Amino acid sequence: MNSHMTLFSALADPARLRIIEAIKAGECAVGDIVESMDIHQSGVSRHLRILTEAGVVQMRPDGQKRLYSLRREAFDQLDAWVARHRRHWESRLDRFGAALERGKPPTRTRNPEKSR
Amino acid sequence: MTPNAPNRARYSIERSYAATIDQCWALWTTRAGIESWWGPEGFEVSVTTIDLRAGGEMVYRMTAVAPEQVAFMQRAGMPLATEARVTYTEVSPPARLAFKTLADFVPGVAAYEVATLVELQATAAGTRLVLTFDAMHDDVWTERARAGHESQLRKLDALLARRAGSASA
Repeated sequence: MNSHMTLFSALADPARLRIIEAIKAGECAVGDIVESMDIHQSGVSRHLRILTEAGVVQMRPDGQKRLYSLRREAFDQLDAWVARHRRHWESRLDRFGAALERGKPPTRTRNPEKSR
Repeated sequence: MTPNAPNRARYSIERSYAATIDQCWALWTTRAGIESWWGPEGFEVSVTTIDLRAGGEMVYRMTAVAPEQVAFMQRAGMPLATEARVTYTEVSPPARLAFKTLADFVPGVAAYEVATLVELQATAAGTRLVLTFDAMHDDVWTERARAGHESQLRKLDALLARRAGSASA
């Protein structure tokens, strides 16, 4: 699923994570974001474009300003991905436990096991 | 971490098992061990190669065997057998194993590279296992990994071209 790739790639960047932190509380203008970070406006704009394209943030024009905010859907999508990944691993670890049970007395050196 | 922190795709699962740390390590790191539990439900796993060292790879083949999974794969137009691999990033027996999954196929879960850390700790009751997943590693690593794979494939292509016609073991 490509949307996951886009979402994760968009998030896999320290500067973009900081932008997300900055606008977490609510709508922000680019200027406010630039102020809270030590990168140039052009850099912030580029990161905002990537985040917008990935559906992580949305933009609303307000007169001369462009106001950015987080899109809830992206984080719901992230949650769903994590939940499925977690379920997969929980059942994998159940099988891991069952395999340990099956192999319980393996520390004897007497039975020469045939290897595959 | 607040519930809204964007880096929450990093998370852990913790389990305890009544087995020794060496038994647990073996299930994570040997061919027979991995094959005995690794496959998703309804799939059989056979390990093709395992190169257990940082930078080494484990390549395996997953084949849908249960009717439900076979039907799922067919509906999705996917082959019943898929090759997948993990790349080890740390191998410190018997306590720490870390790897990146490049194409771990899970039905219903998008393939994405995830960094996984396995930590084993001997306890009075057996072994404590903590798995930590991080879906948001840095871009640089990904690019490097991808470049690495591509250059390996190019090497392989060259090798095969040179040896065209001769069989290898």
